[in-house]
Amino acid sequence: MELFLLLSLPLLMAALVFAMPQDGLRKPVLLSTASIHLSATAALWQGPRDVHFNAFLGFDALSHLVLNIISILFFAVAVYLTGHLKEKRKRSNRILTGCLLCLLSAMTLVTMSRHMGLLWIAIAVTTLLSAPLINYYRTGASIEATWKYLLISSLGIALGLLGTLFLAVSATSLKTIFLEDILANAASLSPSWLKLSAIFLLVGYGTKMGLAPMHAWKPDAYGEAPAPVGALMSGALTGCAFLAVFRVAQICFHAHLQEFISPVFILLGVLSLGIAAVFIIGQKDFSRMLGYSSVEHMGILVLGLGLGGGAIWASLFHMVNNAFAKGLIFLAAGNLYRHFNTRKIEGIRGAIHTVPATGIFLVLGLLVITGFPPFGIFYSELLILKAALATGRYVVIFFYLLFLSVIFFGYARIILDMALGKPDNADVAAPKEDLFMVAPLVILALVLVFTGVFVPGPLYGLINEASALLGGG
Amino acid sequence: MWLELALIAIVFLGIVILGNSRLATTIQLFALQSFILSATPLLVHPGPHAVIMAIATVLLKVILMPSLLFWAIRHVSIRREDQPLVGYGKTLLLGGFLTAVAFLISSRLDLPVREASNLLVPSAFSIIMIGFLLLVSRLKAITQVIGYLVMENGIFLFALLLLEKTPLLVEMGILLDIFVGTLVMGIIINHINQEFGSANTANLTSLRD
Repeated sequence: MELFLLLSLPLLMAALVFAMPQDGLRKPVLLSTASIHLSATAALWQGPRDVHFNAFLGFDALSHLVLNIISILFFAVAVYLTGHLKEKRKRSNRILTGCLLCLLSAMTLVTMSRHMGLLWIAIAVTTLLSAPLINYYRTGASIEATWKYLLISSLGIALGLLGTLFLAVSATSLKTIFLEDILANAASLSPSWLKLSAIFLLVGYGTKMGLAPMHAWKPDAYGEAPAPVGALMSGALTGCAFLAVFRVAQICFHAHLQEFISPVFILLGVLSLGIAAVFIIGQKDFSRMLGYSSVEHMGILVLGLGLGGGAIWASLFHMVNNAFAKGLIFLAAGNLYRHFNTRKIEGIRGAIHTVPATGIFLVLGLLVITGFPPFGIFYSELLILKAALATGRYVVIFFYLLFLSVIFFGYARIILDMALGKPDNADVAAPKEDLFMVAPLVILALVLVFTGVFVPGPLYGLINEASALLGGG
Repeated sequence: MWLELALIAIVFLGIVILGNSRLATTIQLFALQSFILSATPLLVHPGPHAVIMAIATVLLKVILMPSLLFWAIRHVSIRREDQPLVGYGKTLLLGGFLTAVAFLISSRLDLPVREASNLLVPSAFSIIMIGFLLLVSRLKAITQVIGYLVMENGIFLFALLLLEKTPLLVEMGILLDIFVGTLVMGIIINHINQEFGSANTANLTSLRD
């Protein structure tokens, strides 16, 4: 039953949406599918944590965590699109809604995969389904962004496939690459092939996550994609890619290759932070800035994996908060672009005065993302710092703090100008903010309060269990 | 014996693709390479599994993908790659060099599986590197896609090592995935043609920091 509701129903609905002649009916279908998916995900909190439907599909704590992120974000985006699509009546929404529904199913499949080959397939499918979404506006720039995204991601994914094959070679004695079998018999894997495989898998799934130096597609894709698509990509899709990277880490840690793989994680993490710092300062386009911000946060996630121990918990906590905060900012930004008709930071002034609801949520989202207390990202960044101190990695700490403060400076300028500055043309009567486009902001802000400020016991427990998969506390 | 011959032909075709400038010929050469490739599962492990793989490869890589690529360039007037990023002479030299590197690497690798032929791994690696070279050295969108597909052909060759152990379902998924990837790329190439009047990715340089 869960399998049907989570995996097959979105696909069936996508078929329905593709077959539908009118645009008007697609939005209710999208919204109701999102609600059903969300309720099915919520119902999973009741059952046991580890579920195995069959050899290929199953759940563990990490799957639950990522699935919840996907489902909540998708629901918020579906509500948002109910308002957003009203604006764009000129273009048929068939491809947009159809691909979104398929993407929901594919992302769910990523969280459920218990076979490394199936995991690869699911990740590749999410890439292909998101390409038409980025190309929604079909302008020269969006075609360029889509092409770069497709080419770089496909290249990364091809290397990921090679990595999966290397993993199978290293697991020759097992004759399978089911995650359970590999983890249970990690000691019998051939270490040299496993190392090769881990590097290729990291490059492949790291490309999908947008880690530097494989991040080139990210600012372009986030810059050109419609805002709700950006929200899904930066929150849910990166979550899926991180899950894949986490699985690679799981295999390496079980095979006692922690000392080999941790420096790679740390290097990728610090490099991503550095690249983000360089490009966030002086960035003129708000969406592109969000792309670099995503590079930064993905860097923090793998840095946490590399430091190990308490940092793994912090990393997962960070993933949850970053996903919802990015969703909130992207959706708020969508409202701003509609109001100001530009994505340039210099064109958006005094959002709090002209579009008060959106302005407030934008500031909230930006405060969360920058790591202001009392929000979740402040704690996770602090915990990662603590883990780095505990292991005495002072060079890492130096760069971590340097890049974070540069990035903080870059954000501060943007928040002050965009939200609080004086509007250029204050006397122009502002159109009223659409309820459907503000409601998802309220939902995501509430979720952020409960994932970051008052963390409920079950969520705390879930993150504990997920980090225990890597032996983190 | 037949397997070695097929592998040599596949690597040879890869190098010919590198030196070719006509888009239509490049697609045909890729189809020919995939056709020879489709016979390799039968030569490595004859059996029902290999037969299904061979049929699927012929259907997808020899018939559907090339026709799709021809469809994508049906309105393109310039059917040659006149100004590649790196010249033809240089790419050919590099291709030969990479093939040598592939053989060198493979001789150092210690395989825990029994290989059907000791040419299998080196030719897989050379094809992967040739595809990669094609992808990064050309500006026409169609040649870049062919580069990606040639890379995938190399990965397919490497996967032959594991033919008995991979579930058929997963293999079919991978093949289908690559096909859908080509489909999406073909559609985007079509958009590039409509927007810019040519499928030259040199036009795609407006987004930068």
